[in-house]
Amino acid sequence: MQSKARYLAGKIIELLLTLLVVSWLVFAAFSIIPGDTARVMLGPNASEAQVELLREEMGLNRPLLSRYGSWLLGLITFNPGTSYAYNVGVGELMAQRLPVTIGMSVIAMIMVILVSYPLAIISARKPGKLGDQICSVIGHILFAIPPYVASLLLILLAGSVFSLATVGNYVKPSEDFFGYVGCLLLPSFAIALPKIAMSFKFLRSSIIEQRTSDYVRTSKSHGLSDMKILIRHVLPNSNVSSITIISIILSDILGGSLIVEQVFNLPGLGRLLLSAISRRDFPLLSGIVFYLAFITVLLYFISDIAASLADPRIRLK
Amino acid sequence: MQHSVTKILVFATASVTALGSLAACSKKPDDSNSATVGITQEPAVFDPHTVVAAGDEEIIYNIYEGLLKFDHQGTLNPCLATEYEISDDASVYTFTIREGVKFHDGSDLDANDVVYSLKRAAGLLDGQDNVALVSELDSIKAVDVTSDGKVQVTLEESNTELLSYFTTGIIPEGYDNCQAAPVGTGPFKFDSYNPGLSVVLVKNDKYWQNGLPYLDKVTFKVCADMDTGLTELNNGNIDIFPYLTADRAAQLDPAKFNTLSNGSNMVQIFALNNSVKPLDDVRVRKAINYAVNRKDIISVTMDGAGVELTTAMSPAMGSYYDTSLNGTFDQDIDKAKSLMAEAGYENGFDITCTVPSSYLIHVNTAVELASELKAIGINLTIEQVDWATWLETVYTGRQYETTVIALTSTYAPYDVLQRYISDSDGNFINYNNPLADDLLRQIPVTTDPAARTELYHKVLGLLTEDACSVYLQDPTTITVVSTRLEGYYVYPMYVQDMSTVKLSGN
Repeated sequence: MQSKARYLAGKIIELLLTLLVVSWLVFAAFSIIPGDTARVMLGPNASEAQVELLREEMGLNRPLLSRYGSWLLGLITFNPGTSYAYNVGVGELMAQRLPVTIGMSVIAMIMVILVSYPLAIISARKPGKLGDQICSVIGHILFAIPPYVASLLLILLAGSVFSLATVGNYVKPSEDFFGYVGCLLLPSFAIALPKIAMSFKFLRSSIIEQRTSDYVRTSKSHGLSDMKILIRHVLPNSNVSSITIISIILSDILGGSLIVEQVFNLPGLGRLLLSAISRRDFPLLSGIVFYLAFITVLLYFISDIAASLADPRIRLK
Repeated sequence: MQHSVTKILVFATASVTALGSLAACSKKPDDSNSATVGITQEPAVFDPHTVVAAGDEEIIYNIYEGLLKFDHQGTLNPCLATEYEISDDASVYTFTIREGVKFHDGSDLDANDVVYSLKRAAGLLDGQDNVALVSELDSIKAVDVTSDGKVQVTLEESNTELLSYFTTGIIPEGYDNCQAAPVGTGPFKFDSYNPGLSVVLVKNDKYWQNGLPYLDKVTFKVCADMDTGLTELNNGNIDIFPYLTADRAAQLDPAKFNTLSNGSNMVQIFALNNSVKPLDDVRVRKAINYAVNRKDIISVTMDGAGVELTTAMSPAMGSYYDTSLNGTFDQDIDKAKSLMAEAGYENGFDITCTVPSSYLIHVNTAVELASELKAIGINLTIEQVDWATWLETVYTGRQYETTVIALTSTYAPYDVLQRYISDSDGNFINYNNPLADDLLRQIPVTTDPAARTELYHKVLGLLTEDACSVYLQDPTTITVVSTRLEGYYVYPMYVQDMSTVKLSGN
């Protein structure tokens, strides 16, 4: 019991340290790149005096280190500050955008699981046979399509060929939940495609490996049906390793959604991030990057914990 | 048993794949009395006095009105002022305020609102430390209400060129919350702003111009870039999309969209930093001017939709523009080569062009320039930087050799030229000619219109003679409008006037 608590505590400290390093990196990158927030907001036609006035008003004349300090302090007290460019709280801005990014990630993940599991099981049943080969070839092709290319192809198909209305027409979940899910289906599909392939390949080899192990033969000699062996023994054992792969896929999906949002014109975190960079909006930029890093680290953290629950041997490491 | 497993699995796979195609049903035709305009620049500022970025002006033109207002031909018309009078020495402007105008909050417009607004814009209110929010109005000394209810603006010194800045928005007296809750007198009221998504305006029922506006609601929708905008147009999500290139506009179905165009009153310039070697040599600058083929640049960047320029002003400025300068720098490679030799650069030189990567037109121009300048031995290296970097290093820092950019201005000719005064904030090309400085300083204090026009022509002549940079084109603004709407005009400035837009056939 004590080792479990210690393991958990160690992981939490690791998580906090990673986040601190991330905040340093954001801060360092931001102090290197040129660009003045006030000038970007006012544009080239503004006079020096006007820019200076705004700079003073927004506190941009304070040294960056002191701005970083107050930002970090704000973060610890759960107050990520106010965006320079939008003049709206960073938390509020991100909360408006989260439904898009989270929604897309969840839908994409469901697609990955729903498609890759059945395909992997079909493939692994008779490795090397026609079914397996077809699935593998499709898997290879899907794996090679980057999400932004898939997005463009899907937009072309949906918009021009089938004249569907969902492309670029974002609906808030509070207004129409099904419309919201509908407008996220295509972009989610674009992100999910290569991940389906990845998850499929991994699961397939894992199942094949398990199926040839001794316990499967023993179960078979006990008279268990293939289905029962698959569901009761093979899948749970493959799951241990797929927990890790799924957390990797999930953080990849989060990253992929940032690009796909841009192509599909969806108001998600990715577009907010891009606008924060181009406007040199430090509070917003650091808020988003920090949040994404937090989610990613958290995912790995959860998967470590989940894996240790599923396989007691992991804890001892 | 095995068979059924396969069946279940195949079904599950198929149903998920089908989900993708189930995305939605086709869109029904939109017959609501509203319009959606696609914008590629995210709006950020809604205060009429702090707005400087062109993208913000586009929207708030519909919310706020000034004493005067430009129309789509660039004519300055009375708006909240019915009449104006300029004293003989151009140091006092007097405006008669229109009666019966209501603000969006229901209050009546009176002279005190105008005084407050102009003072606020000029930085004359208590606690403003005399820093003008609208820098051009900095020269205002006092704003008063006269005994007969007119508004009298007194300037520090004569300025004949200030009239067009009285287009600055008028807000209710004492009001200071325009950023969060804009209140003006315009044809549309501010409804809501979803950062990064849209700005929604609704009809001002009490608008002072009878019958206007026609639409109940106008949405400005942010599109990530021109291509997303096109997709949105095709899908019927937006009705109006400005600033397209000719070839993109040509891809659209003419039965569904009308393509409208107008001069943009912009001056696209291949800016040469006059204070770096070898560009400090007028012969080199002239050689570059002669080496450039403006027609090819317009065809490469705008598919031919642009007007060639050889001087610092767009022909849209009417009589202020000097037509005698046309054709000064028609391409002449031999002349260019001999000028280069004269300057001691017969073998050419290497030079960098720093362009803002977010503007495709400028990047493409730089690419075309690089290939044209090879003919006289100049090796142009293109360096793409993002907008914020460009503003800091090129525009304000002036740490560059050459760049390509479009200079925007209001419809005031002085606004176009004052950046060439040697100590002006906007003089990022480091042009320095005492004679031009002197002429430019004379313009605002010259009251005779003919003499003033003459001064403008002289300055333009100097700028061209000194080949201070390479003026390329006034790119044409192309806007596509869905055929469900009519009454839209393309303005020669960054403005989307929605007051005259209505549903077709109504």
